[in-house]
Amino acid sequence: MRPLDRRQFLGRSAAVLGAGALGLGVGAEIASGASTSEPSAAESARRTLADELAARTDFVGYHQHGILTPRQTNAAFIALDAIVPRQSELIEGLKELSYRAASLTQGDSVGEIEIDDPPPDSGLLGEYNAPDALTVTIAFGSTLFDHRYGLAAARPPQLVPMPAFEKDGLEPDRCHGDVLLSICADHRDTVVHTMRELLRVTAGVLTPRWRIDGFQSTKRGPTPRSNTRNLFGFRDGTANPHADDAKLMDELVWVKPGHGEPGWTAGGTYQVVRTIRMHVEFWDRVGMFEQQNMIGRDRVSGAPLGGTDEFQNPRYDLDPHGRRIPLSAHIRLANPRTPETENQRILRRPYNYDRGLDEAGNLDQGLLFVAFNQDIQRQFETVQKRLEEEEMADYITPVGGGYYFAPRAARASGDWVGSVMFSS
Amino acid sequence: MLLSVVLVALGLAAFLGSALAPSHSHGLSGGVASVGPAEVANPLAGRLTHMVGTDLPASVVGEEAAAREDFGENLAGEKVSDLLPLPASSFKKPVKEYKAYAHVWIERTIQDAKALGDTLSGSSRVAAQHAWEKAWGDYMHLGADYGLFGELEEELDGTAGGPRTSPSDPDFVGFRRLEWGLWTGRPLHSLSRYDHRLVADLIRLRAAVPGVEIDALDYATRGHEIIEDAQRDLMSGMDVPWSHQGVLGTAAALASAEEVFHTLEPLLSGRDNTKGEVNNWLVRLRGLFASLRRHGRYPSLDQMGEREHEEFNGYVAGALSALEMVPSTLETETYKAPPSIERQR
Repeated sequence: MRPLDRRQFLGRSAAVLGAGALGLGVGAEIASGASTSEPSAAESARRTLADELAARTDFVGYHQHGILTPRQTNAAFIALDAIVPRQSELIEGLKELSYRAASLTQGDSVGEIEIDDPPPDSGLLGEYNAPDALTVTIAFGSTLFDHRYGLAAARPPQLVPMPAFEKDGLEPDRCHGDVLLSICADHRDTVVHTMRELLRVTAGVLTPRWRIDGFQSTKRGPTPRSNTRNLFGFRDGTANPHADDAKLMDELVWVKPGHGEPGWTAGGTYQVVRTIRMHVEFWDRVGMFEQQNMIGRDRVSGAPLGGTDEFQNPRYDLDPHGRRIPLSAHIRLANPRTPETENQRILRRPYNYDRGLDEAGNLDQGLLFVAFNQDIQRQFETVQKRLEEEEMADYITPVGGGYYFAPRAARASGDWVGSVMFSS
Repeated sequence: MLLSVVLVALGLAAFLGSALAPSHSHGLSGGVASVGPAEVANPLAGRLTHMVGTDLPASVVGEEAAAREDFGENLAGEKVSDLLPLPASSFKKPVKEYKAYAHVWIERTIQDAKALGDTLSGSSRVAAQHAWEKAWGDYMHLGADYGLFGELEEELDGTAGGPRTSPSDPDFVGFRRLEWGLWTGRPLHSLSRYDHRLVADLIRLRAAVPGVEIDALDYATRGHEIIEDAQRDLMSGMDVPWSHQGVLGTAAALASAEEVFHTLEPLLSGRDNTKGEVNNWLVRLRGLFASLRRHGRYPSLDQMGEREHEEFNGYVAGALSALEMVPSTLETETYKAPPSIERQR
């Protein structure tokens, strides 16, 4: 992600506003650096706002963004089903999806408004769609590779419908889908606007199947490196592999063609999404001692039990019988930290969710588990089966989600995400 | 902090501080001798106004100890419980009483299931539905068996294939299979074999109950787990998708939670005010359920009014807030901090 220079941003904003727009004078003045007077309060506010919204993430490249990208604060995940009868129509829809996503992630101006027509966009973000660190990651479910669109032979071998694991309570209308959009940005209105715009351009080709919104907890220290907390109050992501370690990502995230994987999967990754309901009222009634033993960490500091620092190695080798950290503790089962389990690690990119109340008046909150991995069986499914033994399983119920494949990014302007599937 | 260090260094300090501190840290005045009971001889044979070997006033020590106690810590900074743990053997009597209660309800359920079988040989679907409600409602009185009987329990419930076992699943048996068949128009006689299996499973359950081990902590947590599960699975309609008899099941679960609580009441006496608080909420819930009955039957979930739903949710939340204190009030072990990584090296 690279922050857009504020001046450049404002200059561009001003340019697209049109001569009649109220902000032109101010914008042009700032952009040119011509003003020598103190900025007005309104101008200062405008500058601050511009800074907040200026971060921009590429859309084209080799790997799609929104995978290794540092997590933005807000997200929406929306699964869509293809409803058109012909491959050519699907391709047109996917092109439109990519092109619109590209323009939104880079920041774009609102098109010309014809007074007789519906407006060209939702208007939610004003005259200029600031990038706001937006990423749109496009992935495909196994059902897209059925008989409808001539893709059956191109299906990545591990792309199958997500199975129900032992303690899952999957609701069919919250699972699977032909296409999954992961829309992430720093501000909620950017996410909402993007979703509306993408649904607008794909209407008639792709139809929504399920969606869920996510948010990230605020960073509250004590250090900038300290991880945020999930809705059980524990720090989340402490042992996540470092996304900036390219060698490690090659080993854990990016699919390598060969070994059964078709050539077009190069640069892509398997994405697992699980909507995990957390029974927070139940959890809040559990004693702190039990909570910490179930997780394996101190709730306040995030340190492994018996440790003093969040990032301290839990040293399971010193505790083979679980006297310090129970053998059924979440962190121990999720990542046993043995040489044999190193290549089972996954790159997690989770969000919290909060959907109001259920039928019984309990809070419907939980975790949007989002993980990227090179090999679903070797990584996610192996970890998931280990976690069936965790005691925390009594306090959660996975209710939705699916398996998807996020292919490489669009190569350049004119290319689109998924084009490689059709040319393979 | 300095004060704490000095205190921890003195073994005697912990004893004096915790023994003499009030339960709050404000308003402490005077020396040690004025606070202790008059009939207890002062082992140090004199009035103590300062910590031994230091210039620290005893009142300051007491305040420090009390402040720590308010945070659940002793003067060494260790987490401590404010109640002496109970011996695990204290739970033998409550568990035995509960098993006797469970036996009665299993016996009733067996008779109910046999009666259900009779209705399945007849032609009245309504009669068969009522017979199912009677059998299932009695079975739900066994709430505290939660998780103790593994596969047998799953067969009885009809959830062996997971929480969302479907009619096409071979594990779809037990009460849920019968419920599905009765409320979706399946021929009554086609359900008889599931009823026979249900009776056989209930007889196996009756034989298994006396020998099952129930851990003290597990038993102490049963009360609120039963109500939590009823709220989540029954009042949401999830576990009764066809009959919508969530209220009936929840009333039975409440009776079961009350039974567990009553067996534990002797142990709770004199330990905080948990007993009183739980009783208050149970009385309210019992009153609510009594008011819900119409013509001798509980309404289905969709027949409940908005106000009734709200009262139910509110009372359950209140009852759970009180019941959650039961396990910690009846703790059988002293909290031990995990060993440090350094010490394990």
